[in-house]
Amino acid sequence: MNPLLPVVTSVLFWVAAMCLVAGVAIVGPRRLYGVGGNLVPYLRESRREVAVLLVVLVVSGVGRPALQSVSEVFGLRLTGAILALEGDFVAWLQGNFQSPRLTLYFSSIYVFGYAFLLVFPFIAYAALPRSTTLKRLIVAYTLNYALGLVLYTVVLAYGPRNVMPDAVTSLLYTFNPNFQTLTGEVNVETNVFPSLHTSLSVTVATFAALTREEYPAWTPIAWWIAGSVVVSTMYLGIHWLTDVVFGTALALGCVYAAYRYVDPDEEDGSDGTEPDDGESDDGESDDAEPDETEPESWETNA
Amino acid sequence: MTRRISRRGALAGIGLAVGSAGCAGRARNIAGREGSSQLVLEIRTTPADEDPNGIRIARALAENLDAVGIDARVETMNGTDLHRTVLLNHDFDVYVGQYTEVLPFDPDVLYGLTHSRFTAEAGWQNPFGFTDLDVDELLEKQRAAGGPDRSEVVSELQRSVCEKQPFTVVAFPDALAAARTDRFVGWETGPPISASGLLGMDYVDEGTEDDGEPVTLRLATTDGRISVNRNPIAAEYRRYGTFMSMLYDRLAIADDGTSVPWLARGWEWLGPETLELELRESTWHDGEPLTAADVAFTYAFLRDTSMGNAETPVPAPQFRGRGSIVESALPVDDSTVRLVVDETDEAVAERALQVPILPKHVWSERAEPATVGGFEFDIETTEALVTANEKPVGSGPVRFVESTPGERVVFERNPDHFLARDGSADAESVDDGVSAEDAGSDGDRTDSTAETGGGRSLPERFLGKPAFDRLEVAVVGSDVEAVQWVADGYADGTASNLGPDSVPRIGRESDTRLVSTRSAAFYYVGYNARRAPLSNPRFRGIVASLLDKATVVDDAFAGYARPASSPLAASTEWVPDDLEWDADRDADPVHPFRGEDGSVDVAEAREALREIGYRFDESDRLLARDQ
Repeated sequence: MNPLLPVVTSVLFWVAAMCLVAGVAIVGPRRLYGVGGNLVPYLRESRREVAVLLVVLVVSGVGRPALQSVSEVFGLRLTGAILALEGDFVAWLQGNFQSPRLTLYFSSIYVFGYAFLLVFPFIAYAALPRSTTLKRLIVAYTLNYALGLVLYTVVLAYGPRNVMPDAVTSLLYTFNPNFQTLTGEVNVETNVFPSLHTSLSVTVATFAALTREEYPAWTPIAWWIAGSVVVSTMYLGIHWLTDVVFGTALALGCVYAAYRYVDPDEEDGSDGTEPDDGESDDGESDDAEPDETEPESWETNA
Repeated sequence: MTRRISRRGALAGIGLAVGSAGCAGRARNIAGREGSSQLVLEIRTTPADEDPNGIRIARALAENLDAVGIDARVETMNGTDLHRTVLLNHDFDVYVGQYTEVLPFDPDVLYGLTHSRFTAEAGWQNPFGFTDLDVDELLEKQRAAGGPDRSEVVSELQRSVCEKQPFTVVAFPDALAAARTDRFVGWETGPPISASGLLGMDYVDEGTEDDGEPVTLRLATTDGRISVNRNPIAAEYRRYGTFMSMLYDRLAIADDGTSVPWLARGWEWLGPETLELELRESTWHDGEPLTAADVAFTYAFLRDTSMGNAETPVPAPQFRGRGSIVESALPVDDSTVRLVVDETDEAVAERALQVPILPKHVWSERAEPATVGGFEFDIETTEALVTANEKPVGSGPVRFVESTPGERVVFERNPDHFLARDGSADAESVDDGVSAEDAGSDGDRTDSTAETGGGRSLPERFLGKPAFDRLEVAVVGSDVEAVQWVADGYADGTASNLGPDSVPRIGRESDTRLVSTRSAAFYYVGYNARRAPLSNPRFRGIVASLLDKATVVDDAFAGYARPASSPLAASTEWVPDDLEWDADRDADPVHPFRGEDGSVDVAEAREALREIGYRFDESDRLLARDQ
């Protein structure tokens, strides 16, 4: 018996609830209804990309202990170098802005907001008339995870909360120690460089900016949450500024590569059979309506 | 005024200089001299999640070293890496660690830690590379001296060690634990992070649990090493050896400062150098009988884990100091063994009995050189040193059931152990305070705990123990998480160090209590005396004086520790008055802090360094030869 199950349950519950609300409000009921029809053909079209993503996730899940051992023996120990590079920035951030309310906000963002931010684009882009964006998203996620895994293995570093406990409090885990049971399942404490929370959030935010024509309401929300996640990684004492900077660079690189790799024109030529049922133009007209009401209704759920 | 040229500039000029033959020799004389640059010291320790205190000590020391002009860098690494690089590879400048014995120990501990005969060996034996003729002599003398003489020698030894600082004792922490008392009580009778503490606990049977369910003691620890490796002599994986001491019996255990017969029913001196021990009837967890041959094997094995197969002995990295007390061990019959020791004090000889007895039939096969994929890497490494020993075969009161690396490990009560056996039959008579002879005569077995040996019988609180059927140890991320597990009822107690962030949390949780017992496992700063300038005892002394132990105790330990100068401060009877912590000034009696309230008096510290021959550049950086 351990607290993992209740924590996972609460995360699943809140993410599902947020996705539902955001789905209705941002994607709109009509297009949301189309997700069911689109999802299977879209995933079938992207089966190669999905397969690679699954492989990467399985490798990072199953192979992590082995890679961790490799990292311990051969990895670059950069904790001291990162500390020398950026000094007490994270300590300064905590020292100047720490408050119980912000801790509550950023802890919720780090766990629930982040999970929602990662899951929701799948729904939103599956509702689009073409599979291109979904495919690009999958490729970008895959690259993030794959490169993150490589960097985690090459670089062995501890985060600020582990290195300067006198100046940086481990706020997330002192706020709710059970979150550590959750994050302990997902990652180990020496994997701080780069911040994958940052890179995946920035990835989603960049996609949101690039798809603002389809979902204008989603763009500011995604930016707000992504920005909060980025700040939370440092505010909570988990990541260094350096991790965040490299995470951002990694994200931009991955999005660029994903756009290069998945070319919409090529897709049109190759698919042929499936995508015509989604080609209708009504998707375009829907997206303008919901944007005014959104931020508020989402906040209440966060 | 001559303009100084950097060394690099001078080297660049050599090309020109050699053009003219007369200048070539002069250029070589200048450029051939090694330059100096700022002294860099790396301080290694474990991250806060693993141990909340060590990193705080390292940070406090680094801050003051920086202030004085030394480039101090703190590098965190997990406990396994720290022990591997420090204890096995001797690849470190400075590290912050914790000694391994929770219960007060005999001064002979210093023999293993500081005797120069161990400098070339890998392990807990003299990891500092400290070599000092006077200390060596005092170490030998304290072994041989008996009674009041020994006390005098030990005092002298401590003075010498404190002055020369092979390591700097920082503080003796309180062993803190968060515990619930609704299922198990007795947390405070011994530190719960010690085998005797866990064995001494009692179960509160309220009849609430299903009869079919085994009584399970659940602990939460931040030290996941036990879930990965269960090799009792692998120094890089062991901390206090709590669970190892429950898996592997020792001939005697330390209890209240004296040796108590454990696996040995008792012992007798046959002469000044020969100790004869009678073993209790016991079997290994795999069913094989435990005999005197296993005991004899263990002592030979600790001395040389290759059992003569390697060209030079490959000693065990743990228990080497106390193992070295025993010259040879000979089985007399199946249950009698004779240990030959040098002429030593009885207390020292009894310390030699506190090593885990290993099964010969398992470990003799591990005397071969270690191989990876069939290749030998190093003649100095035997299989015994590197095996993970995943399914340990011991003879102790608990035996291994299963584990998931990084998550948990499960043990169960060993019903064949002498504690369990005696608890069922003899416990009552012993509990009633019946004398040893009576207890021995009323049992029909030959094996009784009550028989005296070495002056004492088995403490009553262990009879019939352990009180649990199963012992589950869960590995958690941090001290705070461990406390929360206890508060939420997922664990009965914590079994790793708690820091200042987690202690207040215990007070806020209604069902959770803070258990505090004194611990002898002192925190210290270790120096690599093989490397300049740490090879200089005067330099180490000044480094020691840059750490404000009193402030560290207040900040890093939230007051749950006592600053100290001598490594023996937990055994106060050994510490001379002049080495006791100066309570009036709250200062170290030998190397008092140069400064006040944690902030160092930079000018004074620099002056002290200049006096012993060190130099600073124009930016007040301490100069050292390029390494």
